[in-house]
Amino acid sequence: MTNLNAVDPAAVAQDAHLENADVIIGKNTIIFRRFMRNKTAVAGLAIFLALTVFSFVGGYFTQWDKETIDPFNIGMPPSAEHYLGTSQAGIDLYAMTVEGTRISILIGLIVGLVSVLIAAVYGCTMAYFGGKVDKVMLFILEALIMMPALLVVAVATSGGGEGLKRDLPSWLLLIIVLLVFSWMGTARLIRSLSMSLMQRDYVKAAQYMGVPPRRIVWRHLVPNIGSLLVLDITRGVTGAVLAEVAFSFIGIGIKVPDVSLGVLIGGATSQVQTFPWMFWVPLTVMFLLTGSLAMMNDGLRDAFDPSSSSSGSAKNRRALKSRAKGKSS
Amino acid sequence: MSSNLDAGPAEQPQSAVERLHVAGLHAPTDAVLSVRDLHVRFNTENGVVHAVRGVDFDLLPGKTLGIVGESGSGKSVTSLAIMGLLPTTAEISGSVRLKGKELLGLTDKAMCEYRGNELAMVFQDPLSSLTPVYTVGTQIVEALTIHNPTMSKQAKEARAVELLAMVGIPSPKDRLRAFPHEFSGGMRQRVMIAIAIANNPRVLIADEPTTALDVTIQAQVLEVLHTAQEETGAAVVMITHDLGVVAGMADDIMVMYAGKPVETGAVDDIYYNPRMPYTMGLLGAVPRVDVAEKSSLIPIEGMPPNLIHTPTGCSFAPRCPLASDACLDGEPPLAPVPGSTLHHAACIKSGALGGEVDVHDVFSAPPVPVSRFDAIPRGERAVVLQLKDVRKHFPLSKGALLKRRIGTVKAVDGVTFDIREGECFSIVGESGSGKTTTLLEIMEFHKDQDGEVVIGGISNKQAADARTKAAMRRELQMVFQDPTGALDPRFTVYEVLAEPLQNAGMDKQAIKKRIMELMKLVGLQPDHVNRFPNQFSGGQRQRVGIARALAVNPKLVVLDEPVSALDVSVQAGVINLLDKLRAELGLSYLMVAHDLSVVRHISNRVAVMYLGKIVEIGEVDRVFDNPRHPYTRALLSAIPVPDPHVEQTRERIILRGDLPSPLDAPKGCNFATRCPVFAALPPAKQEKCLTLEPPLEPVAPSAAAQALAAHALPVLDQRFACFFPDGELDEDMLVVHESADHHAP
Amino acid sequence: MLRYLAKRGITYVFMIFLTTSAGYFLAVSSLKPALLEQERIPRPTPEQVANSMRLKGLDPDLSPWERYVEWLTAIVTRWDWGRSPNGAFINAEFGDRVWISTRLFLASIILTLVIGVALGVYSAARQYKFQDRVITSYSYLAYIVPAPIAYFLVQLGAININETVGERIFFVTGISTPGMEPGWAQFVDMLAHYAVPTIAITLVGWGSYQIAQRQYLLDNVNADFVRTARAKGLTRNQAISRHALRVSFIPVAQSIAFTIPAIFAGGFFAEKIFAWPGVGSWSIDAISLQDVNAATATLAYGSVIFALGAILADFATTLVDPRVRVQ
Repeated sequence: MTNLNAVDPAAVAQDAHLENADVIIGKNTIIFRRFMRNKTAVAGLAIFLALTVFSFVGGYFTQWDKETIDPFNIGMPPSAEHYLGTSQAGIDLYAMTVEGTRISILIGLIVGLVSVLIAAVYGCTMAYFGGKVDKVMLFILEALIMMPALLVVAVATSGGGEGLKRDLPSWLLLIIVLLVFSWMGTARLIRSLSMSLMQRDYVKAAQYMGVPPRRIVWRHLVPNIGSLLVLDITRGVTGAVLAEVAFSFIGIGIKVPDVSLGVLIGGATSQVQTFPWMFWVPLTVMFLLTGSLAMMNDGLRDAFDPSSSSSGSAKNRRALKSRAKGKSS
Repeated sequence: MSSNLDAGPAEQPQSAVERLHVAGLHAPTDAVLSVRDLHVRFNTENGVVHAVRGVDFDLLPGKTLGIVGESGSGKSVTSLAIMGLLPTTAEISGSVRLKGKELLGLTDKAMCEYRGNELAMVFQDPLSSLTPVYTVGTQIVEALTIHNPTMSKQAKEARAVELLAMVGIPSPKDRLRAFPHEFSGGMRQRVMIAIAIANNPRVLIADEPTTALDVTIQAQVLEVLHTAQEETGAAVVMITHDLGVVAGMADDIMVMYAGKPVETGAVDDIYYNPRMPYTMGLLGAVPRVDVAEKSSLIPIEGMPPNLIHTPTGCSFAPRCPLASDACLDGEPPLAPVPGSTLHHAACIKSGALGGEVDVHDVFSAPPVPVSRFDAIPRGERAVVLQLKDVRKHFPLSKGALLKRRIGTVKAVDGVTFDIREGECFSIVGESGSGKTTTLLEIMEFHKDQDGEVVIGGISNKQAADARTKAAMRRELQMVFQDPTGALDPRFTVYEVLAEPLQNAGMDKQAIKKRIMELMKLVGLQPDHVNRFPNQFSGGQRQRVGIARALAVNPKLVVLDEPVSALDVSVQAGVINLLDKLRAELGLSYLMVAHDLSVVRHISNRVAVMYLGKIVEIGEVDRVFDNPRHPYTRALLSAIPVPDPHVEQTRERIILRGDLPSPLDAPKGCNFATRCPVFAALPPAKQEKCLTLEPPLEPVAPSAAAQALAAHALPVLDQRFACFFPDGELDEDMLVVHESADHHAP
Repeated sequence: MLRYLAKRGITYVFMIFLTTSAGYFLAVSSLKPALLEQERIPRPTPEQVANSMRLKGLDPDLSPWERYVEWLTAIVTRWDWGRSPNGAFINAEFGDRVWISTRLFLASIILTLVIGVALGVYSAARQYKFQDRVITSYSYLAYIVPAPIAYFLVQLGAININETVGERIFFVTGISTPGMEPGWAQFVDMLAHYAVPTIAITLVGWGSYQIAQRQYLLDNVNADFVRTARAKGLTRNQAISRHALRVSFIPVAQSIAFTIPAIFAGGFFAEKIFAWPGVGSWSIDAISLQDVNAATATLAYGSVIFALGAILADFATTLVDPRVRVQ
């Protein structure tokens, strides 16, 4: 009885706008606007896009590439010739960073997108069929959670030069292994969310109308878990980037000659004192990458959920202000 | 009200003496609680909401003040402001005095001396109001410890047991160690009351204490509150939206609207001589369970105002049928009604609204709709739904590793009834009685069900293929309880209504035309089809739900508590709409409701269910005026009536305990464990109740009537399942409150 | 309750069996110790290699299934987890290393939990104030740094401190200085070795607990039962600390199931970076040495830790939430 009769004031305000403009604003437009209003999120998006563009076109701004050795500049700090300096072997750091960023972003995007896709299919299947199917699939899922992903990554990428290892570049191998171990949490979330959605009255209403199940899933379930999926994609991308860096850092992920941010950072640890730029440059790029993703994730979450912390903090900030005013008066 | 400092210029200044009397109650000298000019403002994202705008009242020791209003009227905020429980961001001004001591402006710490001690409160939702991780005993003892730090542990425990016994919890000593989740809702509310009265408060505030409970449990809890008041001599502030609940309890009433009291006075003044159109509307909006009236309810159109904007005129004017230009010119103050000193109303026309004025004329209630089927005798009308011995049993198992079946929950146990064209059939009963499961069984409609369901001539036993099912879906549609949950938040109204039509294979043009028809049919503006559900009020959302159900022109509409989630004034509009649609479209309804007043108003026939079985069924006026089964009698007597004289004098049956667990049900009559007749029977007769299951048998006309009649009388449309319908009632379960002034200490 | 735990236990034993078996097949089909042997100088003949492998139960000529059966039989009948290519017995090696890892993680887990929960409560109580913003921002920062890099940065910091002071206060690698006499000096030496890894793991770990605890507490601060407690005469802060806090522990207790394995996984990185000869660094070394049996054993260990975490979480939940104490 409490809030049922209350009309959402924001919606009414928007409604007034509607009547004047005589256009229907879709939900997506509203979400987009909310996202754009969030300064941090927009900054995150800008940084991420800039990094992506940099990783693809950055290579054209230098004559060096990640393999050519410059015998006259070995272990040199940044200069006009080599924007970010060179490694101990005389390879241009700028070129390697461009390449490494691209590989890291690629791994992040592919793993983030595909794992959410797997999770959505797996989770919805569990929720839709329920019963025995659900039980068996849940068991498989939990067993996969139990496997220490790290060791499997290590085994898969350092096998004795056989099969997969020989035919695939190490970054593709890493993508496959990360994919296998990254979708379970999301799948479980989607399962429980779809299950609760199946209990909603509007889904029941559709069932009682005789709407076929396929249509119910497509029209009622998918749009309602959509926001979760988008959020999980950004979270998944961040997770994959972090995992790549972590694994490559201790030498079990991407292997030389492939380059990634993790490889660059990991390779430079022993020479932090002597060639500090070799360590700090890729580390900064990694921070920009994961940080921008986290900022976007935060903004997206607020955009999807008007009652989340951001509006809460706004409320509170205003309340603080008004309290301060109260004190001064 | 002059106390509202920032109100319009139309107000005349009043003297201080008058200001003290604005609440229209008593001189505050001996008042235990007196509130003056209370204002509460909240900062929200959309601006400052002025939730309470000038509340005044005085509460005398031992008396009860009822605060009545709809959601958003500011009644709960008022109570929280008095308790000092509003968030610190709320701006509160005015004065709240407890026994002469000012409470407003006290620090949280200073307030703690009063809270739970002299000033106590019972909240609305008993399920979430107790801390789940502590035992009930710990929580009661905590209340004692805070205010009596020197009390010994034994004394506190003894007092806790005493309190639990006082609020009617069986074997209180053992229950002390139970956790809240081991109690039912009604029992938890009793614990809440025990906590509130632990330190013998002078003022007890009860905020909708029974709204979340079943009617039979509501009656128990109200009785407990009554006992608590008698034991402690506390003054009570009873906050409710239900005019029935306070009619029997309160001495004075304050009606709130848009954050302001709009009418105050003694109970009789408000109920029998209301002078504010809003109060009149509220009283006319609720159906009566005790009257076989057949006049339409009073719908109050529109919505309460948005409290972000300061009203420039009477805040009720936009919804008031009597509003004139003068009403828009400044907010009317709460002024004495001519000829009375204690009765106040905030309406410039209150003088003209004397006792003779009929509410139905003021609010132009729609005429009673007449269905074309009403003239045809029931037996000659076609059957639209038939249930034959429908059963739904769930296995109940226990144990973690090896599940062992310990019994069966007979949610629906052999239900048989039929619904004919143009009639409304209702099922009533407490939660857990199986009424909703019965609905779901009908909606499920598949072959493997236990029992037969026939909808429009199609039986579930032949419902193998999709086409039969689709045909059945066109005959039968459903309206849900919660109008918000029943509409996909991502669909516009157009999409919501188009879904069943698309599913029926209609083309685009036809769909558009049909949707416009539907919008008009349910009283919504056709140009609102592009709105999302959250842009509508609860009542409007429910209208969308009804429109969706009607889209494919079904013969039968299943209504699951269609108005229980709505405010009183909105409820009336929806009930009238359902009534109108039934008549105009020749619909049949199958309704499940816990509000028996609504059931009586709208139904033709009714079935009373108890633990999965129908215990009484028949024509609604017969069953309600002459109930035969003791459970029906108890259920009816539990409904509070918005009529103080009736409420204060009538005899009430208070059932003991909750609905028993299905495992504990006796072999014979399910109801025996709580039956007031059974309790008074001699053991020999009790034996019969316990071993034999009473069959559902028609009411026989009395012997005298039979003797007078020349030939056999027609069988009456009323059947019940009880061996001893005329048995005496157990006196312990009967309660009569002798006089109006029962609260005197 | 005991029956419930027993049921969960059986399920987990079955799961551990499955994951370990899967791990064995993966290891056996991709790790080829014989190849490494052949790189020795003087280069042994393939027959010599096969012979030495056969002696250690690592016959490369057997099919993976035959080796699996042999390996499983040894474990089930003699609790023998096999041998490494260099001839060492897994069981013996394992005992030492588990002890080292557990010592390292135990302190970190307890510190992580305590600091995380305490900071969560503290920041919730000061929501949106300066302290809250600093603490919560730190936690988000910890989220975007990969664990090994964070450990490495802490290590760098410790080295810097040592250099600034001009004395070796912290040891940034290893578990102890060899040849120490038992007594006070050894104790100080142990502390100096423990400090940096423990601090590193804790610094990275508490963030997620802090964010979660803060959120759960804030969710409960305005709960109905807190209002009831205040209506009894408790101040807001008393009501929150006595009622909301206890309820907010319930989801934290449930999350132990996933954080204990996470800390152990992080520990793998920590052992590698701080050069602690625990299970984690062993597993990575084992893989690079193509050691099938050691890799599988560490994998089994990881699964056991996960199961332990889950059971511990069940247990902790029962402790704080009476609603799950069924029957």
